[in-house]
Amino acid sequence: MRALALFAAVLLAAFSTGCGDEGAATQRVRLVTTTSTANSGLLTHLLEPFKTETGIEVIVVPVGTGQALALGRRGDADLVLVHAREREDAFVAEGHGIDRRDVMWNDFAIVGPPSDPAGIRGLRRPGDALKKILASDALFISRSDDSGTHIRERALWAATGVDPADNESYWKAGQGMGKCLVMADEKRAYTLADRGTYLAFRDRIELVILMEGDASLRNPYGAILVNPAKHPGVNASAARALLDYMTSPRGQKRIAAFRVDDEVLFQPATRE
Amino acid sequence: MIWEGIKEAFHLIASGDRQVLHAVYVSLFCTVIAIVAAGFVAVPYGAWLGLYRPRATRTQAFLLRLGMFVPTVVVGLIVFGLLSRHGLLGGLDLLYTKLAIIIGEFLLAFPIIGSMAYAATADSNPVALESARTLGASRWQAMRTVLNEVRLAIATGFLMAFARCFSELGVAITVGGNLEMRTRTLASTVVLDLSRGRFGTALAPGIILIALAVVITITALSLAREKKR
Repeated sequence: MRALALFAAVLLAAFSTGCGDEGAATQRVRLVTTTSTANSGLLTHLLEPFKTETGIEVIVVPVGTGQALALGRRGDADLVLVHAREREDAFVAEGHGIDRRDVMWNDFAIVGPPSDPAGIRGLRRPGDALKKILASDALFISRSDDSGTHIRERALWAATGVDPADNESYWKAGQGMGKCLVMADEKRAYTLADRGTYLAFRDRIELVILMEGDASLRNPYGAILVNPAKHPGVNASAARALLDYMTSPRGQKRIAAFRVDDEVLFQPATRE
Repeated sequence: MIWEGIKEAFHLIASGDRQVLHAVYVSLFCTVIAIVAAGFVAVPYGAWLGLYRPRATRTQAFLLRLGMFVPTVVVGLIVFGLLSRHGLLGGLDLLYTKLAIIIGEFLLAFPIIGSMAYAATADSNPVALESARTLGASRWQAMRTVLNEVRLAIATGFLMAFARCFSELGVAITVGGNLEMRTRTLASTVVLDLSRGRFGTALAPGIILIALAVVITITALSLAREKKR
């Protein structure tokens, strides 16, 4: 009998906390974002004060930019934080998103084996480097997964006027940044990487940065509210509070203060 | 979404989509080679355990069954460690090839086929083995006689191995690399479509995978039954 009472008590407790989430007790906001922001640890650092002050729970869903926007289109997100400007604009134009704001930027780099078999070290323009890699015997690993990095890589190729698609030494991996870095390291190949993921992998791989700093390698992140008029299920007020915080002077300072191995990964949007 | 996936599956097949057909080819090619190769070793091994009960049979049988539970990614990771540039077999340069997938799927198939061969032969009528032996059959011939008796169980073992390898992801992604027109399988196509946010399209390779599995299962079982009759 006592066991039964205990069981009932546990059930009741589970139920009441479970239902409590639906009510006003804890607010939840689903932030769908790219793996680069989540895996680097930035979001944990950035969101900590927001959580303690507002009590709003942020559920971070790290996926590729393509999937992030697709989840937004289905109304399965409250706020998206991605990096692919044209797609972001399309997302807003279709009415799925409102109030797009610049949050921060980081940059891409072309990484490759230290021996640099294609000889791209010292070149000025990313396009020249890509052409030289394709002409060499070395492989180039392409993300080929419609991620923000892949979209940028395609734009860089398009600017060269060369289509690498059917080249034997151009491998389309269809995988995330980390896996592509490992693959490039294994095959002594080149790839385009975002700096954050590269820094996170630097200790475990031999690849070095061989091309960086060009304006065409800059990578801005934008945050977009999922339109509550189109997707009534979204938690618009909490999402707006989070967006306001990220773009506020405090949030921007917090982004600027974030370091991995003493290196700055993301520059706040307010800093040019 | 499911309807969209079915429509897309038909469309991809009917239009002869180069990439999907190649993924079908990679999936079938790797799986068939892996389970045939595994069968050549695992069936005699399992039958030897079941019929002649050598030393430590129970430990070996236990390990075989344990092998069926190892997650495919763990097998992928082990093969990756072997084939990596810094690994034991790194010099062979096999990483991100179909052969790498076949090696991993061999390891997935072996415990399943071996366990089935062991269970079927250990359970078989001992009279069959003894009479074959007294009739002057060698150990090997006697084993074949018994295996013929338990054909259906062995075929089921092959089917289970086929199912595990054909639909697996851990090996294909980790050591295959999901490379377009090289090592991309039907299952890894689903993962990629998903990461691209194409939920409807992602279902299509899955549906093709299931359809192929239906055809193969029916064919294999009817073949095994026919022979038994």
